[in-house]
Amino acid sequence: MTKKYDAIIIGAGVIGTPIAYELCKMGYKTLNVDKVPDAGEGSTAGSCAIVRAHYSTEDGVALAYEGFKYWLDWENYLGNVTDEKGLAKYMNTGSILVKSDGHDWRKVKKHYDAVGVKYEEWDVDTVKKHVPPIDMHKYWPVRRPEDPTFYDEPTEMLEGAIFCPEGGYVNDPALSAHNIMRAAESKGGEFMFNAEVVDIRSENGKVKGITLKDGTQIDADIVVNVGGPHSFKVNQMAEGVWEGCNIKTKALRHEVMYCPSPDGYDYLNDGYHMSDGDIGCYERPEVGNMFLIGSEDPECDPQEWVDPDEFYAGKGGKGRDNVLTDAQWKAQCYRLGKRIPSLKVPNQPKGVVDLYDVSDDWIPIYDKSDLPGFYMAVGTSGNQYKNAPVVGRMMAELIDACEKGLDHDQEPFQYEFKYTQRTLNVGFFSRKREINYDSSFSVNG
Amino acid sequence: MQIYVCVKHVPDSAANIHIVDNLKIEESVPFLLNPYDEHAVTEAVVLKNQVPGSEIIAVCLGKKDAESTLRSALAMGADRGLLVETEKVCDSMTTARALHAAIVKDGPADMILTGKESIDNEGMQTQFRIGALFDFPVVTNAVSLDIKNGNAIVTCELAGGRTRTFDLSLPCVIGAGRGLNTPIYPTFPDVVKSRKKPIETLTLPELNVPAAPGSAKIVSMTPLVQKRHPRKITGTPSAQAAEIIRILKQEAKVLS
Repeated sequence: MTKKYDAIIIGAGVIGTPIAYELCKMGYKTLNVDKVPDAGEGSTAGSCAIVRAHYSTEDGVALAYEGFKYWLDWENYLGNVTDEKGLAKYMNTGSILVKSDGHDWRKVKKHYDAVGVKYEEWDVDTVKKHVPPIDMHKYWPVRRPEDPTFYDEPTEMLEGAIFCPEGGYVNDPALSAHNIMRAAESKGGEFMFNAEVVDIRSENGKVKGITLKDGTQIDADIVVNVGGPHSFKVNQMAEGVWEGCNIKTKALRHEVMYCPSPDGYDYLNDGYHMSDGDIGCYERPEVGNMFLIGSEDPECDPQEWVDPDEFYAGKGGKGRDNVLTDAQWKAQCYRLGKRIPSLKVPNQPKGVVDLYDVSDDWIPIYDKSDLPGFYMAVGTSGNQYKNAPVVGRMMAELIDACEKGLDHDQEPFQYEFKYTQRTLNVGFFSRKREINYDSSFSVNG
Repeated sequence: MQIYVCVKHVPDSAANIHIVDNLKIEESVPFLLNPYDEHAVTEAVVLKNQVPGSEIIAVCLGKKDAESTLRSALAMGADRGLLVETEKVCDSMTTARALHAAIVKDGPADMILTGKESIDNEGMQTQFRIGALFDFPVVTNAVSLDIKNGNAIVTCELAGGRTRTFDLSLPCVIGAGRGLNTPIYPTFPDVVKSRKKPIETLTLPELNVPAAPGSAKIVSMTPLVQKRHPRKITGTPSAQAAEIIRILKQEAKVLS
């Protein structure tokens, strides 16, 4: 017998679970389906879970700042639900944005002023006071270790940094999604795992439900694509959806490294999250007094677009599966080694390889689709983890408004922020938009 | 002291290693400095600091790509490198002869350090074969090393965790174990310095490496297929933590 729900959400990661939670709170009967065994065990688990406000657009800054308030209020947000695995924890380290040619930091500062983000401007001496092992020489442009000029002695100094006291990371991204799943369940939400969607069924020009790999059919008038790196495959299953998107998504392979903190520096407890466009890296503390080193996708680095099914099956072949590459290990660790000269770089790479779900302009698509009843929260481009709770609320309200007759394409939904007293034009995230050239076209969003 | 450290270019143990034609591993995986050899390089640096004027020479037999492993050793503190370049896959007999010939040509050696084994072939023969070719004393799985009165005082770990301490005349060959030290990893400035350190490339013919009287070659390889028996640990977080500690102590025996 075909089961029926009000809404099926494809994906139970950190964006899929809050959409379910918020829809449940609004009275919808939801089902999340995911091909992995538990909530947050897909690409969410590989997220660096950075919480920071700097984005290239004012709306991006505003959304991140609103999202930050949710992490501060985590237990209340979850309705004080009990999770047998414990609760994820937001670690407020403060966030340093290095003033460099690699970031349009003047634009970020302007957005901070417009949104009301608290920040301080630090000169080089102040940065060094807070981060004792740092070397503030200018290394721009970002290069690769294979390039002999990578090793050139720097001659100029950087200007300083912008410091946001409100910023940090969440210590366990998979657990945070699990927490939201438990909150959703407390409101009646259901979850199905190890279940792969192979078809989106529609009838009379409207979505009707999904079909799983084992042939099970589940019906709902609303289907939401939150498939992460599989989002483009899910959109292609739904009639007319892929063709109706002006902005598309695809899966990008991405490596994050763990490198031990220098002797005598308690980075885990004393360190900051840093975004450093001058070397094309971002860093945050990790358990074991490690530096977690991510890449800000500098132009000189090759981009590896992959098939997510092949990647997760380990069939991608050289440099395209879930094994760190020596070349990228050296690139990211040596880049940070310029900034932190006492950083010791082991010979054996250690870290995480996972996929970003990247849109054409690295700004997500939070939207309806050309198939009535089918919605999408996709193209999160490695930078939307922090926004997950607020995006859950925004998507639920968008879906509810559209189901009640709003023509979002003609009259974009206006979302009222709960904490920061601001209205966001959700049309900013439209699938129909032209490429937004204000974007950084990187993980910075 | 003239300290030679034999290093091997091995596949990263964390990589997905596939066997091709039941005979060899698929070589597209990352390769790096054999982890036991990291202890050997580190100990050489410790000795150099104790005996001013010492020189550390890293020696490697392998393909052209093995130069990156020598660069790793140089970044860790070796002064220069010798690469005996060959496209062949060599057994322990030929490897020992090649390393011996390279050290003889470059020497004389006061000490030769190796890892206690390589993580790819796990032959555990090369240090003994080099020692025999030189007529030097050999110990392996060293967990401490001191130079006293011109001799090497070396403690080695034996099966079951027992130890035995030896007094070796120099020159000697020592196979480094994991307990010997904590590897000193290079900083970026170390990497920059290492780029200027010389690596000399040699070949088997120019070293006149004598043919070994015998040979051992791999005729087939099969991957280890481990049967896993996952268990779900349930209960409160503190009960789960207590159960994990119990397993680590009583079942895995990695905690005492």
